[in-house]
Amino acid sequence: MGNLPLNIDIQQVLLHLLNFTILFAGMYFILYKPVRKFMDAREEHFKQLEEEAKGKVEEGEKAKVEYEERLKNADSEINAKKEQAGKETFAERERIITAANEEAAKIVKKAKEKAQSEHDRILSDAQKEIAEIVNEATEKIVLDSKLDTYDQFLNAAKKEGNDE
Amino acid sequence: MSKKRLIISAVIFAIVIAALLVGIFLTNDPNHVEEETIQEVMKDAVLHEHVKISLFGIKDVNPGLIAGFIVTGIMLTFAIICRIFVIPRFKLIPGKFQLVLETAVGLFDGTAKSNSPHKYRLLRLYMFVAGSYIFVGTLFELLGVQAISTTGKPISLGAPLSDINGAIMMGCTTYLFLLFNGLFVNKVRGFFGVLKDFSLPISMSLRLFGALLSGALVTELVYYYTMTRFIIPVLVGIAFTVLHALIQAYVLTMLVSIFYGEATEPHEKKEKVKKVKKNKKELSSEVA
Repeated sequence: MGNLPLNIDIQQVLLHLLNFTILFAGMYFILYKPVRKFMDAREEHFKQLEEEAKGKVEEGEKAKVEYEERLKNADSEINAKKEQAGKETFAERERIITAANEEAAKIVKKAKEKAQSEHDRILSDAQKEIAEIVNEATEKIVLDSKLDTYDQFLNAAKKEGNDE
Repeated sequence: MSKKRLIISAVIFAIVIAALLVGIFLTNDPNHVEEETIQEVMKDAVLHEHVKISLFGIKDVNPGLIAGFIVTGIMLTFAIICRIFVIPRFKLIPGKFQLVLETAVGLFDGTAKSNSPHKYRLLRLYMFVAGSYIFVGTLFELLGVQAISTTGKPISLGAPLSDINGAIMMGCTTYLFLLFNGLFVNKVRGFFGVLKDFSLPISMSLRLFGALLSGALVTELVYYYTMTRFIIPVLVGIAFTVLHALIQAYVLTMLVSIFYGEATEPHEKKEKVKKVKKNKKELSSEVA
């Protein structure tokens, strides 16, 4: 070994290697690994934050598109609803008018019937009364000759008025 | 500071420097002869034939090995201090020191990913440790840590990789790292892919050794002569130590990442193109 050029000593090379190996292991475990671990954890943390932010931005974008779409459709929707409401109102109005007309017709009919029956009743009553009066008058004329026919009629009419 | 005061300070500084220079040159013994000639100093810096340090009385070793042990000790101590006092207090938004540590750890991520996008986790670790060792080891030279050689003379410890044995270790370890990763990832094909670059450990070792030794040699040269011991070492120190520390760490890590990327690259099967044998008649008709 002593004959190597430049005074190269294999034993010293190995001692250098031992020194470097100790340095390599020591630097890895004591300094490099913990620092790298921290850096990786921080990178992961920020990556996670970035992903979360991205997700939120995407959600926001989606919501924006959705709302824009909704806004676009809102006019047509409003018009449709207006039309629907108009139709419904018209139908309701028609129904109410029809019902009112029917009711009115019923009332009128009923009133007519009632009036007719009243009219008939009054007419028959009057006829009866007239017939009675006529009978009475006739009786009185026939039976009571002292009385003037005209006075008798007036008395009868007066009596009738008092009765009512 | 007023102008008058500034001038007075500059004059005092110049007088002090001049007095020191006069003192240095007057006390310089012209008859003094260096114990070693510059040739011997340079040769010893390369070969370490005479200047050795006893390793706990077991073996006489090159100063570079002791420097390597000290650099490892410094780096591990620093790592332990960081592990106990700094890392547990890491925050989501990093402070200055945390930022320095994270930058150091993640410094080679980009290079590792770009050169070996399919497999880079182990590569970036190796690049971090090897790069840090070369960088800190080279800067260690600036500290001028003293040790006692076997001859009893004090010597200044240089960079661990300016020792040929250290450079060989780094080159060969890197080569073996590439070789076995090629084997694990691409099986025999990957192994032989790296094996064919058998000159790689030699070139890596000698590049490191040459680059770092040149710094040591220039420093030796500068400090050998009295005249060059002023101002020049500042420039030399920066040019040959700090820059070498950066450049060599960068060069080695770049080479490792490039070769690693090649060794662990997934192999795509090529479709065999059926060769249509043409008979002589067809060929002759085509020629005609």
